[in-house]
Parts: sequence; C-alpha cells; structure tokens
Amino acid sequence: MGEHGRQMLGSLIAAAIIVAITIAIVTAKFGSTSAAEREVREERLEQREEAREERQEQREEGR
Amino acid sequence: MEDLVESLTRGNVTEVKVLLASVALALGVYQLFLMAVGYGKLRLPFLASRPAARTHRAVGDTILVVVVVVSVMCLAVYGFDEDGRSHGIAGLILGGVLALKVAVVRFGLGLGRVLPLFGLAVFALLAATWLMSAGDFLGEGG
Repeated sequence: MGEHGRQMLGSLIAAAIIVAITIAIVTAKFGSTSAAEREVREERLEQREEAREERQEQREEGR
Repeated sequence: MEDLVESLTRGNVTEVKVLLASVALALGVYQLFLMAVGYGKLRLPFLASRPAARTHRAVGDTILVVVVVVSVMCLAVYGFDEDGRSHGIAGLILGGVLALKVAVVRFGLGLGRVLPLFGLAVFALLAATWLMSAGDFLGEGG
C-alpha cells in the first residue's frame, strides 16, 4: 500500500471513530428511555402491583 | 412501511432516527474538514489533498445512504404533520440539493465550479434539519 493509500485508510478509520463517538454520546443522552426498557420497567411495576394486590387479598381472607 | 420501520427499530423510531441523523451531521463536519484539505485550504503533513478528496467521496456516499434511510423512516412513520412542517420543508430542500450535488459530482453538468457551494448548502441544510428535530429531542433530555 502506498503513502496515499495509508493516508486514505487513516482518514476512513478517523471517520469510523467519529461515528463510534457520536453513537456513544447520543445513546448516553437517551439514557433508559428506549421503548424496550420502558416496557420492561412497566412490566416489572405491573408485576409488583399484582403481587401487592394478591398479598392484600390473602390478608383480607385471613381475617 | 410504518410497521416495518417500527419492527426494525423495535419501537424506538425516534431514537434510531435521532442517532442516524446525528451520525450524518458529525460526518458532515468531518466532510468540511476533508474538503478543506482536499482544496488545499488546510495543509497537513499527514494527509494529502488526493486521499482527503477520495475519503470525502466515500464518506459522502455513506452520508447519502444514512440521509435516505432517515428520510424514509421520517416519512413512513410521521409523514408531513403540522408540528414538523419546517423540519419537513428543510428535509425536502436537503434532498433536492443533495440529489443535485450527486448529479454534479457524477455528470458534471457544467456546474463543477460551484460544487463547494453545493457542499456548504448540503451541510447547512443538514444542520438545520437536525436542529429542528434531533436537536430539539436531545435538548429535551431524550
């Protein structure tokens, strides 16, 4: 590979690094707001609520 | 089409769109740097103008693909709604100028001399379109 080929490869690698850094910054900015994570969180909340209701029902039945 | 986009992004259409648009904008900034080297405005010991111009072409092709994907996602899911009218108009002009720039690069059309102006216009429109959508979204804290 000639000098120009090496320089072009280097500048393409720099472009790939820019893409990786941009992806890291933007996804870090999103935090945990992705739909998939929201769904998991909502599901967990629902399960907790159901468990609480069940416990309450059992307590009431026990009285 | 909307269902395809929704399933491909697993319901995170806006997030994926913002991410891809941000990648296109970041590469756009890099394009300005590459062409400054390519046109000899910026002289660097580690990058000659010819490889800089070639990389500019390769990165430009990548940006074009990313912009087309983002546009398709945008139109398929959101269409032209009232809220995003200015964003839509900026996107449409960006598409037109980008298509014209590609035509000039490939076929000349006697407009080779004004190619840097096309490049600057594409970058300005890309930045404006990003600011009116992705910038707003990221500014709101995701």
